[in-house]
Amino acid sequence: MNGAAIQTRNRKSVRTTRAVGTALKIIFLTVMVVFTLYPIIYTVLGSLKSNAELTSGGSFFPKEWLFENYKTAFIQADFKTYTKNSVITSGITTILATVTCAMAGFILARKQFVGKKLWLSLYMAMMFVSLGSVTLYPIYELLRSVGLHKSIWGLTFALCGGQASNVLLVMGFTKGIPRELDEAATIDGCTIYGIFFKVVLPLIKPILAVVALFAFRNSWNDYVTTLIMTITNPKLQTLTVAVVQLKYSVNAAAEWHIMLAGASIAIIPILIVYALANKQFIAGLTAGAVKG
Amino acid sequence: MKQKRAISPVKRRRMLISNVQAYTFMIPNLILFICCSLYPVIWTLRFVFYQYSGLGTAAPRWVGLANLERVFRDAVYWKSVVNTFVYGFGKVIIILPIAFILALLLSKQRKGNGILQSVMFLPTIMSSAVMGLVFYLLFNAYNGEINVILMKLGVISRPINWLGRDHAMQTLIITAVWGGLGNYMVYFIAGLQQVSKDALESAQIDGANAVQTVWYITLPMLGPILKIILMLSITTAFHDITNVMVLTEGGPTNATMVMALYGYQYFFPVSATTSILPQYGYGAAVSVVSAVIAGIVTLIYLAISKKLDEVY
Repeated sequence: MNGAAIQTRNRKSVRTTRAVGTALKIIFLTVMVVFTLYPIIYTVLGSLKSNAELTSGGSFFPKEWLFENYKTAFIQADFKTYTKNSVITSGITTILATVTCAMAGFILARKQFVGKKLWLSLYMAMMFVSLGSVTLYPIYELLRSVGLHKSIWGLTFALCGGQASNVLLVMGFTKGIPRELDEAATIDGCTIYGIFFKVVLPLIKPILAVVALFAFRNSWNDYVTTLIMTITNPKLQTLTVAVVQLKYSVNAAAEWHIMLAGASIAIIPILIVYALANKQFIAGLTAGAVKG
Repeated sequence: MKQKRAISPVKRRRMLISNVQAYTFMIPNLILFICCSLYPVIWTLRFVFYQYSGLGTAAPRWVGLANLERVFRDAVYWKSVVNTFVYGFGKVIIILPIAFILALLLSKQRKGNGILQSVMFLPTIMSSAVMGLVFYLLFNAYNGEINVILMKLGVISRPINWLGRDHAMQTLIITAVWGGLGNYMVYFIAGLQQVSKDALESAQIDGANAVQTVWYITLPMLGPILKIILMLSITTAFHDITNVMVLTEGGPTNATMVMALYGYQYFFPVSATTSILPQYGYGAAVSVVSAVIAGIVTLIYLAISKKLDEVY
């Protein structure tokens, strides 16, 4: 066999392995995309089917597009109220988390004060000591003792939580901003408040966006905290909790279409937020985990 | 004897003002932190030594180490610990290779990869409770879509009882993989960006094929970030509770009871249909032991990874 023949054969085998590789790649990615999207598509399309069609395992698309399911969910299952609760609690939690983290993160990065070391070590310790959801009981008792256990404010307070890791995240980011800017502002007659509002705040916006986004997502999606804080006042339930509670209703077997309509109402807003800010979500994850 | 340095009244006043200013910035977060993080942890640690059934019942009674003793004798608790490990390792073993391959395929700057990344990341932003309910319907033994599809494809002849004793843990792991995959893909992509391009190029010039390059160059160079990823996957698996609560409620007969949920059930009802009387002291003891177990696993992992560093 001469050299040229070997070369063509090699080239051919390279080409076939490459083709097989590409085919495997496409198959793998297709399987993963179907696996990922199927439950979401099932939810949205299922919310438009009748209960009979859902439970008998019908076709992929609804036979009839029953938009009334949403009306039933909103009015009969009172999702109107739950949507309102979700919007209020997530909105306030987001603001509360962002504002408090910005303030504490800024001062921890910039100033020495009595007790700073103690607080810093407590923040770190609380990030590692994790007792899980049982700590919601003392929070509940605390809120009860001040009479907030039946109000939306108590719920919001508990949903926001300690925010220790976010404070440290903002602190780390603020440390990356040159101190010379603060000094220049001080010479120009700025107080510490001026430095915070006029110099630092505009520069730490990117990390605050991450904090806000994750605070919003967490409180919108939260189940356990909200469930516990609304035990004595189910009227305050958010969408997430209300949807899951349908599982325990007396005629759950006949309400699959309502469950899926409710689930869609609960996931569509977060899907919209994701469509607008998916880059920030992805970037935020690595900001918190890898660098922090 | 050392004398205290005298501080002039002016300086003292300035320091006081500076501290007050600092605390005006700290207070809003400190209120949240003390009420929602610090106080609950101290409360829980204290109640490990008490017997207490909640407001309106007998006052908390000091019982010493009785609660902890009971934890060590509680066979169901230790079963839940085993389940947690099965769940955690099952999830990690499936997620990490898939996430790594996805990251390899999608980290290149190419048209469409950005969209595919966003699609794969999508489940991580969804509520695990709401999706738990959806999975509950999908995996339903009698009317669930999964059985219908598998039967139509001819993979199975009879419906599988996905949430029954034999399959509940598998189902739980599948849903956990669904919800967590995107996170790990993003971690790996972040790691891949730190792998030096020169090393990859020189390997290709030396005639290494794609698989060899990944195995001998990319993976070893991912080392440091791989450590963080493994660490995160271990610790998060110990805390997943929502998924279990909604999908299986720890059942059937504790087949999917994990340690986080086991402690929880002594504080709150797991579902509208279960009723265990609250035992706050015992629940606190269970949670503290669980936290210690999670801590020990993390420490063992850190020690092993340090040893490995010395070997290489």
